[in-house]
Amino acid sequence: MKPIAVVRRTSARHLLAAGLVASLALATGCTKSEDDSDKKPSASKQDDAGQVVASPAAGSGPTCTIDAYGAKKLDLKGATVGFSQSEKEANPFRIAETASIKAEAKKRGIKLLTANAQSQFSKQISDVQDLIAKGANLLVIAPLNSDGWEPVLRTAAAKHIPIVTIDRKINATACKDYVSFIGSDFIEQGKRAADQMIEATGGKGKIAILLGAAGNNVTTERTKGFEDRIKEKAPGLKIVSRQTGEFAREKGQSVTENLIQSNPGITGIYAENDEMGLGAVNALKGAGKKPGDVKIVTVDGTRNAVQQIVDGWISGVIESNPRFGPLAFQTLDTFTKGDKVSQDIVIKDSAYSKSNAQSDIGKAF
Amino acid sequence: MTELALSRGSLDRDRLLRLLQDYGVYAGVLVLLLFNFAFTPHFVSTENFRTQAVQVAPVLIVALGMALAIGTEGVDLSVGSVMALATSLLSLYLGYGPWIAALTAVIGGIVVGVANGALIAFVGVQPIVATLALMVAGRGLALVLLPQLKDVRDPGLASLGSGDVLGVPYLVLIAAVLAVLVAFVMRRTTFGRQVLAIGDSRPAARLAGLPVRRVLIVVYVCSGALAAIAGVLATARLTASDPTSLGNLMELSAITAVVVGGTPLTGGRVRIGGTVAGAVLIQLLTTTLIKHDLPPSWTQIAQAVVIVLAVYAARERGRR
Repeated sequence: MKPIAVVRRTSARHLLAAGLVASLALATGCTKSEDDSDKKPSASKQDDAGQVVASPAAGSGPTCTIDAYGAKKLDLKGATVGFSQSEKEANPFRIAETASIKAEAKKRGIKLLTANAQSQFSKQISDVQDLIAKGANLLVIAPLNSDGWEPVLRTAAAKHIPIVTIDRKINATACKDYVSFIGSDFIEQGKRAADQMIEATGGKGKIAILLGAAGNNVTTERTKGFEDRIKEKAPGLKIVSRQTGEFAREKGQSVTENLIQSNPGITGIYAENDEMGLGAVNALKGAGKKPGDVKIVTVDGTRNAVQQIVDGWISGVIESNPRFGPLAFQTLDTFTKGDKVSQDIVIKDSAYSKSNAQSDIGKAF
Repeated sequence: MTELALSRGSLDRDRLLRLLQDYGVYAGVLVLLLFNFAFTPHFVSTENFRTQAVQVAPVLIVALGMALAIGTEGVDLSVGSVMALATSLLSLYLGYGPWIAALTAVIGGIVVGVANGALIAFVGVQPIVATLALMVAGRGLALVLLPQLKDVRDPGLASLGSGDVLGVPYLVLIAAVLAVLVAFVMRRTTFGRQVLAIGDSRPAARLAGLPVRRVLIVVYVCSGALAAIAGVLATARLTASDPTSLGNLMELSAITAVVVGGTPLTGGRVRIGGTVAGAVLIQLLTTTLIKHDLPPSWTQIAQAVVIVLAVYAARERGRR
């Protein structure tokens, strides 16, 4: 009796294991998604969307030279560049950022090592140390956090490795701990979003803000810029609600659903990223509103959001350009040749509105 | 005489605590409703109740499965990841039509449930550890299958997310049917009794000749399937597959709903009505704070207070 039971149990286990493996194979084997036939947006259309420096005069702000930094001159052509990405490439911004760095390295024929910290700061620290150990002569870092970089900076300083940080800053001394920061001015983005909002609503009415994730400098700065500009330019616009949508579409949708019911008079919504803005669009559609009933202004510049401008649901999108590749490598090139580079390189973000959404949608990422 | 009076006094206290545990969650819902009726502008409208019901539906469906798992003295941490996996599968198979895609998504949830159940019933891994493993693996798999958010344009799914029958949204209808079904199974079937017996004491259930392993596997399969259904519905509502953020922290919301609803974590007792009320309570709490524009951190604190109160009531009962 017993051996049979044992046999039966093991066969049940085998069956189970086989079933799991088979279903996994099935899951990956014969998928057929909705729009397999759709063409991917061609890369060539996006080439004209590289970053432009907002303050091009190299002498305008504090600058840095290779002698001041204490590194040795080298030829970028033969160098190895390490790139540490902060979040996994699951959102359009990160995808476009990594792709841009890789494309530029390939174009210039530079050996590129990459790592992705998957949103874990401790992993990013060890990633960068790994990159250094693997022989990176130069580093491009997209930091997850601003603080806690001392161990990496010490290692890099010991080997005189120049560091350029992109999209977020690190709290350290420029030209000593790192060479320069390339990124957008998030306060400025908030201000420009406020300008778009004032234009769309005529400067009067009640508006709501969908905040980003809490405890994030992007959220605080985009909020500050927006509120300051509204206060200064359009006192008629009243901000009646500030709720977090945590940068996610679903949260943006459910919060907006609640907002438009308790405040039926809302005339505008400022979403601090495109995803929440798209969630708000969903909520408005669900509530039976017409395009343009509630003006939405968002920040990022993803293809989906720009498409919604064309469709009339979103009034304006302020771009936060993720294509750091050309500018990052140009900075490294200038720096390693011995010329001076700016410590803070603020990039010029463009904007999409009704007038250019149709023609410029190819530039969206 | 005094002894008698004393024992009656403690009896009253016992009964009060029992009442608090059994009906406290309903009282909480009532209090929040009354508060909103009085102080929230535009709260009393069909549109608003419709929104609240639609928003609570996915959490509620997940909580039903969680209640079963907790009833067996287990827990299912993988539900949020199953939702993400379901949304990935749904998007990948949508080319075959919405029904096949939804079916595939649910099968995905069932497979995760089988894996959970097998680990717990055959290998003997603690439920919290087994489902933790599947929670990590499920999210990973979902992201491998679909690395980033993808829009869903299928009209069938869109109407599932926003359509209604006689004014009742499909989402609410499905959630209600599932809640009634699970409540019926728990009250009126042998399987329901077996779940409770296993939750009370697994060794005793085994000695009594109950098919412990089979029941455990079925429980986790149900939990996985329900989570997958919730994932499909949430995707339909969002009209996008977002495996990175869909179902994030869903396991905690579901556990909160179950525990606040009066189901003890020690198993042996499942309250479906309470679970429904628990999910509604959390939803109303969040809504109230949003509608009054209080900072989001307050929502978390308020939720914590509710959980602590619920656990306090359960603790007193356990010491009886």
